[in-house]
Amino acid sequence: MKTVSSTATLWSKISAALPRDEEEFPLQFGDKVESSVVEMLKRCRRQLYSDATAASRMLNAQIVVDVSWEKLNTGTWRHVDKEWRRVYSCGCLFKVAALCRDDPSADEVVQAVRTCDMGLLMGADIMDDILQVIVRILQGEVRKPTELEEESEHTEVKRMKTEIPRAPVIKEELAIPRIKCPSLESFSTNYLLPLKPVVLEGTIGHWPALNEHPWSIGYLRSVAGCRTVPVEVGSRYTDEGWSQTLLTVNEFIDRHIWNKIPELKEDIRPPDYCCLGEGDEDDITVNAWFGPGGTVSPLHQDPQQNFLAQVVGSKYIRLYSPEDTDKLYPHQSKLLHNTSQVEVENPDAERFPEFARAPYLECVLQPGDVLFIPVRHWHYVRSLELSFSVSFWWS
Amino acid sequence: MRWFGFGFNAFGQIRVHEKLMEGARGDAANDVKVSGPTELASKADRRGCCCLKTACQIRASWSRRASLHFDSDSCVCLAGFVSSEAWSGLPLRESRGCRDALISESCLTLAFSDRLESWDLQKEEKTPSWSMEITPPPESSGPSVGLPLVPGGYIATKPPLYRSLSPQLRAKSLALSSEHAILLSASGAVYTWGLGSHGQLGHGGLSSEEEPRAVEALLGMPMSCIATGSWHTVCISDGGDLYVWGWNESGQLGLPSRGLRKALQQQSSQQTGALHQDVGTSPAEGPQEGEQHEEVFISIQAFPALLDITPSCEIRSVSCGCRHTAAVTTTGDLYTWGWGDYGQLGHQTLISSDEPQRVEFFREQQMQVADVVCGSWNTFAAVVKDEVSCS
Repeated sequence: MKTVSSTATLWSKISAALPRDEEEFPLQFGDKVESSVVEMLKRCRRQLYSDATAASRMLNAQIVVDVSWEKLNTGTWRHVDKEWRRVYSCGCLFKVAALCRDDPSADEVVQAVRTCDMGLLMGADIMDDILQVIVRILQGEVRKPTELEEESEHTEVKRMKTEIPRAPVIKEELAIPRIKCPSLESFSTNYLLPLKPVVLEGTIGHWPALNEHPWSIGYLRSVAGCRTVPVEVGSRYTDEGWSQTLLTVNEFIDRHIWNKIPELKEDIRPPDYCCLGEGDEDDITVNAWFGPGGTVSPLHQDPQQNFLAQVVGSKYIRLYSPEDTDKLYPHQSKLLHNTSQVEVENPDAERFPEFARAPYLECVLQPGDVLFIPVRHWHYVRSLELSFSVSFWWS
Repeated sequence: MRWFGFGFNAFGQIRVHEKLMEGARGDAANDVKVSGPTELASKADRRGCCCLKTACQIRASWSRRASLHFDSDSCVCLAGFVSSEAWSGLPLRESRGCRDALISESCLTLAFSDRLESWDLQKEEKTPSWSMEITPPPESSGPSVGLPLVPGGYIATKPPLYRSLSPQLRAKSLALSSEHAILLSASGAVYTWGLGSHGQLGHGGLSSEEEPRAVEALLGMPMSCIATGSWHTVCISDGGDLYVWGWNESGQLGLPSRGLRKALQQQSSQQTGALHQDVGTSPAEGPQEGEQHEEVFISIQAFPALLDITPSCEIRSVSCGCRHTAAVTTTGDLYTWGWGDYGQLGHQTLISSDEPQRVEFFREQQMQVADVVCGSWNTFAAVVKDEVSCS
């Protein structure tokens, strides 16, 4: 429920985050962005600082969003010109301004959050990450009480924990070695340089995600419930019915649990060992993986080094060396050539006779463990219960 | 011949509203989206020209519309986002005597009998940004081809502009989007190449092709007309049947689109369960009517599908915008489907549709639609008055 004064504060908060006037609002784009589109952006900017109807503001902002959306979907993603992604972010910014200007309803605020998220997911940085600043302001308007939720969620998690399906017994001779807090030098010499997998214990105990802000369903809802994130639907991505979609965290939890957010990033830290790589800290790609028990990532390889940190729940993981790729039957198509055709825990011996002869290592990754997956090492993952992991891709 | 336009009009490319161009407050909303067919100005406007009474072709991009006049004094006129006085409304001096023209968002390409020229629309300079001499084909080699086809090849949407085509293809017509191409040969065979990630090449998969590859599903069935949207492809067979393939996220294929239903449901804020998403792979057959209990949605149609525009009728010509399709029947009706947010479907609404629907306006006015040309987000229909009274 909102009073008139609180919504006035919302616009003034947003307004304070925006440039003071038209002159201070940058609209410089490269050659790829046609002058007609720049003209449309200028109309939006003019309307931001002058009198206009809400409908007109929304209309012009939506034109910018629509035309840049088409560019973002043209060609392959990696070839999409960054300038068009910036135009898309600008369009989202103007749209958010239009939504929040005149006494927005609760629904309009939620729409504004979604628009910020779309700009953050598909756009590129504009004006010092202004969409991030604005979505934080908006989140403050959307926060709901979560104490009651958290309690009921907590008991449900407990119930899930006692029903771990098919927890494999790890054979000692196949177990991935475990080591507690190795020094940088020791990790580098014994594991990174020879590209040998290892489970690092005791290295992320200080994460707030495991201490002050334990990641639970309730916590997730309160911090990020209204935020939109990409979701993979389907138990494995090689299934015919598998797809990717965009959902809010609340929708995802409601639909798929039972009941690219920076606040959660504060709760984790990239492992120190990443500094042994050649890239910058900014080049580390961090992804959070949240899903129910039974979620399978089919056997595949990635082109970067990977630290897979387990925060909540446990995962069964199997690793195969890139030297044995010939026994793993990767798909032929360009889209899936880094993915094996074999169902690791139920292999078809007739179609894939060599697979049984491929040597492997395995482990059950527990909260607090970090698995080092050397570059291009094939890995298969099955979550044994509700699971939250964070992966760090680095070079 | 009279032309009617509907759809995106933020730059006045359909009709000009004085207040619109200033971009100030005001209910320009009505004029940015023209949702019903509106006749294009046929009398001299205040700048003094662009008479559409003469036989005229239309070409449109996102922000502009070009009228091609082909008579003794052929020329091109531009409407829409044209900033300098020298270029707006008046026949472009530079275009006098041209045989054909193509317009993209960044440039205007003109074909003359002895040369091609490409004019940069962003800079509006006095000389073309690119030109090439061509040797006119001998009289006996059959009817001349239209842009983007040129003798020996075609003009692409990005550099290098001139690309050669094998004479074995016997190219009769060519349609291009920014990422894919479809070629119709003299034999009626259809070839596609470019990016295939949305099924727009019609070979049954999502991979790209570097060289023209025949669409096998249609071999043996001669085609007569082709068109491309940004991510979809359409063609008409000799017998007047319409085949569609590519991305269907806005219903531009005329097949059930889950994305569209979802968007419509969100608009009317209803909650329904998730529906099964399907990738259409069956050649030459769309979903049957009557399979209502478990509706199959198609987001990507990777093989050509036959689209039945009910009631059954023969299609004479077809054109595509970025995400919508418009087709003219041999009986003079115009059908549209796909993305409709800007009024480009012409049904007096801003609703998208995944089912072909007739534009009733022309029937009501007793007009026969003779041809249709789409811009990115709008549609232009050429009409002749219906001489014979009809039921």
